[in-house]
Amino acid sequence: MQTKTIKLIASVFVLIALVGCSSSAQVQITAGFPAVISQPKNSSATLVFSDEFRQFVAKPNKDTTIDMGSAQVALLTNAFKGLFSTVKIVSAADQASFKQGLVITPSVQEVQLSTPSDTYLNVYEVWIKYSLDIKTAEGEQIDTWFMPAYGKTPDSFMLSRTSAIDEATVIALRDAGAKLVLDFYRIPSVNNWLRTQPVKESGDE
Amino acid sequence: MNRFFLLVAVCFLSACSAVTTIDEYRVNNSAMELNSNESVVILGRRDAGHYDTDREFIGCVADKMQGADISIMPEQQFVDAIYPWFEPRTAPKGLARLKRLMQDTTIKAEIDRQHIRYLVWLDGSTESHGQSGSMSCGAAPGIAGCFGFAQWDKSSTYEAIIWDLRNLSEKGRLQVDSQGTSYLIGIVAPIPLLSPVKDDACKSLGDQLLQFFSNPDSTG
Repeated sequence: MQTKTIKLIASVFVLIALVGCSSSAQVQITAGFPAVISQPKNSSATLVFSDEFRQFVAKPNKDTTIDMGSAQVALLTNAFKGLFSTVKIVSAADQASFKQGLVITPSVQEVQLSTPSDTYLNVYEVWIKYSLDIKTAEGEQIDTWFMPAYGKTPDSFMLSRTSAIDEATVIALRDAGAKLVLDFYRIPSVNNWLRTQPVKESGDE
Repeated sequence: MNRFFLLVAVCFLSACSAVTTIDEYRVNNSAMELNSNESVVILGRRDAGHYDTDREFIGCVADKMQGADISIMPEQQFVDAIYPWFEPRTAPKGLARLKRLMQDTTIKAEIDRQHIRYLVWLDGSTESHGQSGSMSCGAAPGIAGCFGFAQWDKSSTYEAIIWDLRNLSEKGRLQVDSQGTSYLIGIVAPIPLLSPVKDDACKSLGDQLLQFFSNPDSTG
């Protein structure tokens, strides 16, 4: 009886040790993002967040998943509200109802993760590669803009794998917002389109 | 015999102290103006590839200044309030870029609304190098212990640059260098004798920054 108990306790310890040593991580990004401080242009945009984009779960390697769908929707909604005076969110491009403005469909091309065990650096790093499909309200293609974003933890000391990946992803998402606000109107094709737009009166849409 | 041990202990403890030097540049000698409703923000540079100015150090310097009744806005609160203009990608690296940023009326209005008067940029890191010696630990039924000796050098180098957000000018610069050697002695139990390099750098920088905000004539 005593031997059985010892074997059971030993098995539990071995199991706990094996689970503790596993390097898999399922991360759900729940962080909120601050409102953008920016003067929006007097123009409108329809953001197309497909169900795939809303529920996007990145799988940068076989042991890691990052559920970042709702976080990236919140982040991009915030960022575009700083760029356009009127923003409408739809699930499919054919739901766009503005007669003028842009129809923007973001998608995630790739998410990469590097950990201290990959690089021997004391940081976790996350790269998110977005692509923005930009069309006019009439359906004319303006551009497909590649938008990379990067985030890293200050260091990995005392951070669990899950919380380190969470922190690096949040920083990468914030970086995506910063790049968008900084560079969107610098895209030559978007800039050209903006200059051809008539000055919008309030209540036009 | 007791005196011998005391002498050895004093030698060890004094060897663990850090040597800190500070270089200071001020635009002028008068104390910087700061009204009671105005705040200072201490920000870390995060744009270098190989290091980030660590948040613990920034928090330490902020605590030193807050203790002297200077209103300090927490770094993250400021970065969120002014998002996305002080992210690693967008934060102004020089006064020219800051002036351009402040020409945006939305950004200026938010900074004015938050009553932020000065930005203190901290840039630097603490690094270990010159490790030598070795330590071995072992355990057997009824006995366990460590034997050996290890030592390493640590150095902290930080620069602080103070920007006035009202005049959009630089008010001064400080550079702190702190160096020291830490030891780990294994006599059954490992005994760490750590040199407080980062703490010394923080204390020195915090004290020196405070002098920018206090009248030098009043402190004698």
